[in-house]
Amino acid sequence: MFHCKVLLCIAILSLISSSLGTVCSNPQIEAKTYTTQDGTVITNVAFVARFSLKCDNGARELPLYAEINGKTFPVVISGKEHYQVSWVEDVKTAKSGSHDVNLFDEEGYAQLRKAIRNNEDVSAVKPLSQIQVPHPGTYQGPWLNSEFLAVVLSLIVWYSAFSTKSKLLS
Amino acid sequence: MLRRFLFLLSTLIVAIQSAEENDGGARLLVSKQILNRYIVEDMDVIVKYTLYNIGSSPAVNVVLKDNSFSEEVFKVVGGFLNIKIPRIPPATNVTHITVLKPIVDGFYNFTAAEVSYQNSDESAKVQVAISSEPGEGYIVAFRDYDKKFSPHLLDWCAFAIMTFPSLAIPFFLWWSSKSKYDSFSKPKKSTKDN
Repeated sequence: MFHCKVLLCIAILSLISSSLGTVCSNPQIEAKTYTTQDGTVITNVAFVARFSLKCDNGARELPLYAEINGKTFPVVISGKEHYQVSWVEDVKTAKSGSHDVNLFDEEGYAQLRKAIRNNEDVSAVKPLSQIQVPHPGTYQGPWLNSEFLAVVLSLIVWYSAFSTKSKLLS
Repeated sequence: MLRRFLFLLSTLIVAIQSAEENDGGARLLVSKQILNRYIVEDMDVIVKYTLYNIGSSPAVNVVLKDNSFSEEVFKVVGGFLNIKIPRIPPATNVTHITVLKPIVDGFYNFTAAEVSYQNSDESAKVQVAISSEPGEGYIVAFRDYDKKFSPHLLDWCAFAIMTFPSLAIPFFLWWSSKSKYDSFSKPKKSTKDN
């Protein structure tokens, strides 16, 4: 009898813990994003979104997945409540503007993978939450070299002076 | 003075495995790369960690710790250096990016990050691995970098201001004499016309 009770307790506890571990009710997300904007020293543009996730049911260290432009990434965990999504793009192909990161829990990720596999509309799968990573653009050096500008200016000055001189002499 | 450092060709180092390891279980290859052409003081340094599971079962509770960036030399501006990945399925890549900024210049030895994981769901044994090492690099002082690569707009402006008098004074003298002679010749012209 006692053994049965213990087993029942264990079963209930494991059920509760598994449901706590994978489902997040009413997620509240606070995100901090960082992108590299100076493209002169780097070979790739890095997009980093770190966020903290608070759930009403107290779920922590959830396995989350992110979807960015049709690609899926696992979300890494740091500490108890902090998460990070990060990726790199080539300096030439990295687009400026807002990059949407859709976050999915395990259930949502399974649905997303199913949708991708069956070539269905991915946007139909409702994400747990969404983060926007703004990227103002990558600076790749001045579009006009100052040396070039100086040479052009000096040529203009020289030409105007020379043409005036030849006009006076003729 | 400024040396080129290409860290992209960092080699993969196979996770340390015990010799009697059987075929089953997860095996992680971990690489650590620095995606920079130059490492410059107070400018972004991108560190990319790539974890790839070549084993037959998922790696569980993967913990990546990188204590190689000393706080006196680097500050973290984006991302975390100590992370946990709950699960890496077989034949799957996971990448992680951290952006740092060096606060001092000089040589710095970029060493490996540590990774520990369980090589299957059932296994309680913790496997320890180290990543590849990008090697020693030189952090260029921002002043040296700026001297070489900035557009030098201020310098050119100063040059323009310095050359302006030598161009403008003769021009002004010529202009004043020209307008003087023009004013002499104009009345004559007008009298002739009349």
